[in-house]
Amino acid sequence: MKAKKLAAMVLSAAMAVSLAACGSSPGTSNDTGNSSGTDAAEGAKRVCFVARASADTFAAWLTSELKKAAADYSDIDLTCVSGEADDNTENGLLEDCITKNYDLVIVQSNNNAAQAPYVKNLVDAGIPVITTNPTTHQSDLDGSDNDSVMEGTGTVDADPMEQAKVGASRAVDEIPENANVVILRGPSGNYHAEKRREAWDTYFFKERPDVTILYEDYANWNSDEALTLMESWVQSGKHIDAIISMNDNMAAGAIEAIRKNTDYVSADGKANFLAYGVDGTAQGCLLIKEGLLTCTALQSAADLAKKNMEYADKVLKGEVKITDVNDYVDAPEINAENVEEYIQMYVENGEISGDGA
Amino acid sequence: MKTNLTHYLQKYSIYIVLAVLFIACSLISPYFLQSNNLINVSRQLCVGILIAYGEMLLIISGFLDLSVGSVLALAGVFSVSAYQQTQSMLVAIAVAVLVGMFCNLINGFFVAQCNVPAFIATLGMQMAARGVALYYTNGQNILQLGNFVKIGQGTVGPIPVPVLIVIGITALIWYIMNHTKYGRGLYAIGGSRSAAEASGINAKRSIYVSYLINGILVGFAGMIFMARNNAGLPNGAIGYEMTGLTAAIVGGTSFTGGIGTVSGTVAGAFIIGFLENVMNLTGVNSYIQQVIEGSIIVLAVAYDVVSKSKKSQKVIIVKEAKETAK
Repeated sequence: MKAKKLAAMVLSAAMAVSLAACGSSPGTSNDTGNSSGTDAAEGAKRVCFVARASADTFAAWLTSELKKAAADYSDIDLTCVSGEADDNTENGLLEDCITKNYDLVIVQSNNNAAQAPYVKNLVDAGIPVITTNPTTHQSDLDGSDNDSVMEGTGTVDADPMEQAKVGASRAVDEIPENANVVILRGPSGNYHAEKRREAWDTYFFKERPDVTILYEDYANWNSDEALTLMESWVQSGKHIDAIISMNDNMAAGAIEAIRKNTDYVSADGKANFLAYGVDGTAQGCLLIKEGLLTCTALQSAADLAKKNMEYADKVLKGEVKITDVNDYVDAPEINAENVEEYIQMYVENGEISGDGA
Repeated sequence: MKTNLTHYLQKYSIYIVLAVLFIACSLISPYFLQSNNLINVSRQLCVGILIAYGEMLLIISGFLDLSVGSVLALAGVFSVSAYQQTQSMLVAIAVAVLVGMFCNLINGFFVAQCNVPAFIATLGMQMAARGVALYYTNGQNILQLGNFVKIGQGTVGPIPVPVLIVIGITALIWYIMNHTKYGRGLYAIGGSRSAAEASGINAKRSIYVSYLINGILVGFAGMIFMARNNAGLPNGAIGYEMTGLTAAIVGGTSFTGGIGTVSGTVAGAFIIGFLENVMNLTGVNSYIQQVIEGSIIVLAVAYDVVSKSKKSQKVIIVKEAKETAK
């Protein structure tokens, strides 16, 4: 009985503190916890960023960079919320954006087709929408073959075909004749995952019909799933000449599976395989420095964030029409020659320590 | 003679399923029996087995833990972070275990003291622990683990370190379940809590102890998981509670409480592990793997349940026949 009373008191106190905390932060009008932290001026324009999931490494990075970028715009009050990788949750957040009458909404879809009708509702409500990482296309809404940006919206994105082309083009010359390769794919139906895979067909497999795909499976962007797959695949007895991964995270997992295998990494640390990723994450850069990842293409959340905020500002000031916002960040190649400058970038933003070792 | 055979078939049904699966796997893939592959499977199962032991303890006493995946991630990232700051494996282990125990102390408090259903209490912890892990790391992976990876990737001779850890913990859990008052009490609580309490067993204390042991197991699982992946992954191990629950239940732990064994849980984990492994070796698409895995798990458990219920029906019929004869 005493314990029950104690629990009730603790819970009541926690609720009171939470409510007080929510009530004491004017200008941070969100229900799910994240706000930009910018000191927006009174009468500032209210922008909401609806992220795919807080547990998604890239989405978390993008959210963090958007908050940093928003700090440069004193007349913009940025609110960040997350769909938590659940279509229903994200759609609900998009509906909330209409209720709360935001001045502009930036949407990072979890599933383009699932969010498309709700993005259209925002457009119909007269709220400018920028879709980012990935772009929402007209085909996502109506099932047509129209791959242009969804009507009434703008986009700031990275081009997944261009990103994967970076590794695929190199691989045409690097991967040995009659090689065996394995492919690690992102989630089925994810626009970036599918387009990156398509780029490998277009720029590599069509050029190299001699290459055999030994295994191909979905590791859903996750390193632990890739690790388990690769541990089994290396048992086939056939040497895997190259790991083709649709992101760095999965490449890292696959590499961990063979790091201690002398068939793949010699005693002096020299790799007897090639590995290609995308994203240019800190982990990817460290693996390139170790000589275990051949190359990757940077998908910079910082660049995406800067461009998103820049266009949001211009649209809100009436300098640019929302439908004219159609921009893509570059996908520079990161390889053994230039990896140090990118490692330095991650050291400066605190993601890895000084020596980068 | 026939009755004896049927009795043994029923009693050891899960091990028969495991043996049949093992033979089938070795026929399906020529790589399955390679020593490297079997070591891989053992290493892959370590995290799942530790989680399954925790779930087994809780299910036997009539409870469960849905926060395992999140607490594992929280304990893992805190442990990695502690190691980076101190370079001490002992500190890292202490942090992982303490985080796991703290989270499970809260679970135990709500379940034992406040009678909150375990499903709800641990579901809340699932969300809260994941939130703390993501908040602490800002959603980013922690890199540059240094020698921390040895606990997940190292070997002693040909045997992987995590396998040795699991063997040690298995012996300990087996001893606790079979040779301590607490272990025997768990079965009694799961069978009937009120009857157990009437016979002098302190059920509340047993529930606390079960959650705390679960926390220790999750702490070790978190360290091994992060070390294997060479990164502190705040978004790692999502859904791992189902991995643990599945291994325990496939291994014969009864969801109604009071029944379950360490060896059965290990067998359950290996059934799932062999199944996943052979499908990966033969290149079965992972989405199809889920369909096959789901079907086989249901069939294995259905066989186990049906064979045991036939046994109890038979006992009732024999009793009734004896009473009629009297």
